[in-house]
Amino acid sequence: MKSIPASKAKPRLAALAEASVRGKAAAAIRNNTVINRIGSKSRWVGFIYRLFVYLILIDLAFVFLYPFIYMTTTALKQPADLMDFTIKWIPTSLAWENFYYGMKGLQFWTHFNNSALIAVASVVGQVLSCSFIAYGFARIKFPGREVLFVLCMFTMIIPPQTIIVPLFMQYKTMGWLDSVLPLVIPSFFGNGLRGALFIFIFRQLFRGLPWELEDAARVDGCGSFRVYWKIIMPLTPPAIVVTTLLSLVWHWNDFFEPSIYLTSEEKFTLPMMLPRLYQSLDTLTGSTFEVFSLPVVMAATFVSLLPMLLVYLFLQRYFIQGVERSGLVE
Amino acid sequence: MRGRRLSLERKKMMAGYVYIAPWAIGFALFMLYPLVYSIWLSFHEVANVGNFELKSVGWDNFNKAFVLDTKFIPLFISVIQDALINTPLILVFSLFISILLNHNIRGRAFFRAAFFLPVLIGSGLAMQQLLYAGVGKDTMVNGIGVPDEVFLYMGPTFSQIVFDMLSRLTVIFWKTGVQILLFLAGLQGISVSLYESARCDGATEWEMFWKITLPLMTPIILLNLVYTCVDSFTDINNRMMVYIKDTAFTNIEMGYASSMGWIYFLFIFLLLVLVFVSTRRLVVYTGEK
Repeated sequence: MKSIPASKAKPRLAALAEASVRGKAAAAIRNNTVINRIGSKSRWVGFIYRLFVYLILIDLAFVFLYPFIYMTTTALKQPADLMDFTIKWIPTSLAWENFYYGMKGLQFWTHFNNSALIAVASVVGQVLSCSFIAYGFARIKFPGREVLFVLCMFTMIIPPQTIIVPLFMQYKTMGWLDSVLPLVIPSFFGNGLRGALFIFIFRQLFRGLPWELEDAARVDGCGSFRVYWKIIMPLTPPAIVVTTLLSLVWHWNDFFEPSIYLTSEEKFTLPMMLPRLYQSLDTLTGSTFEVFSLPVVMAATFVSLLPMLLVYLFLQRYFIQGVERSGLVE
Repeated sequence: MRGRRLSLERKKMMAGYVYIAPWAIGFALFMLYPLVYSIWLSFHEVANVGNFELKSVGWDNFNKAFVLDTKFIPLFISVIQDALINTPLILVFSLFISILLNHNIRGRAFFRAAFFLPVLIGSGLAMQQLLYAGVGKDTMVNGIGVPDEVFLYMGPTFSQIVFDMLSRLTVIFWKTGVQILLFLAGLQGISVSLYESARCDGATEWEMFWKITLPLMTPIILLNLVYTCVDSFTDINNRMMVYIKDTAFTNIEMGYASSMGWIYFLFIFLLLVLVFVSTRRLVVYTGEK
């Protein structure tokens, strides 16, 4: 405002003085000029500000996308391109055979099936059990509810290492070792990977739902299970999407528990095959230089993440809306 | 009449327990029993691996951790240091990004999706393959657009420090996906009318951030703080975690591993209690809850 030259300010001031006499119509003019002045100033500031916002966002988005860009471009390179330091991003020719060797080295379909079984079963288990448990915590009053809920949240901070030894021995006596049971069954009991977090998410959403729906159903003679299944669950897609995606991704990438409970190689999950790739590629392609197998390893890494990418692309819109609507942050 | 009503209420209460039952069973089987067993184990030593014969050793395992083992304490300190450095960085960075993303900008959907993508890689084996291939090293430097020439002027030692710092930041930033998402959801929840009325009173953007956005975001900041803490302490790649796992399954010192696990767990617990107690007055809750 200070930068307005005196010659320009004067007529405006005069106009203002005149306007104050004329009453209503003048007020409109005054408002108009004030708005114009602010507008012209903030247009410039706004433009520069916006420019900065875009620059920072594009810059950081690049940092965040870098692993994927690197992975895809390297996966398509030939050994010659890899050695040529003038080629950074775009390979001279696309080496699709890297994907073939990568998938072969991973024994893709066997281990994809293992991973998919564990991940999908855990997701189904967690969505069903966590929503069921959360309904109890959110909508039914009973003595000891708060204490139990605190206890439930408390399980989130237990490091897996603290209980891994007893769990291992427990599963050994139950005969569950080297099967998917230790990885899947806890999910059906509201445990599994961060089960408590999902209970929390569902509870937050359930608490925000209106009671009238439930009351009306009860008056009509609905039992609490039918209320949960027929009335509450259909209202929870946001929480279901959030839980599904996070649970799927975490179970898919988890290697700590599978690497302890699974011992025979044909039962390994897909990511567990990645560290063995350098060795298995040596026998597969005959080359002994680690550098040359890098594109194949990147192709394999890409393939092992591809299912998650596809699921995310499909669920992405609902997922972000879901986080906002589930009342997670209230 | 009264008796019937009571029984109805009791029936409803019982329904509550039915809903909690799966969790209670799971908790008892997969949490409580192993926890108690691991306390017991931490006072014992495996005398014979074959038939898992245990020998009571009293406080020896704890003594070993704090006095005899030269690796445990330095590892512990380095893990705490990492968490102390990473957590504020993650929080400030994710809040910053989410505020930028909350603007009405073009390609918002794209940016939001992009910032969540590293979560899909997680910190599992796929990420380790990428880091092994040298992905983290020059990302931040290239991404932020620092030209190579700058490093030539800085001299080898100093440029190495900057280089390391930036590549470390990159790996930290990749972990912020969930936090950005939570902050964004929180920012969406702040009513626009607050900003409008502040603007009418002549508040600048800067003032509005400190007087409106930040106070209303404190519950989510607390949520993210706890999430980040838990995430970094229970991360599988955490060196402490790796050490405990190796002690248990490579060296077959299960008793010692359990006692270290317990020390670690108690530390996390105390830390979170401290976080909750110390932030109690700082967190602003709106509404009548």
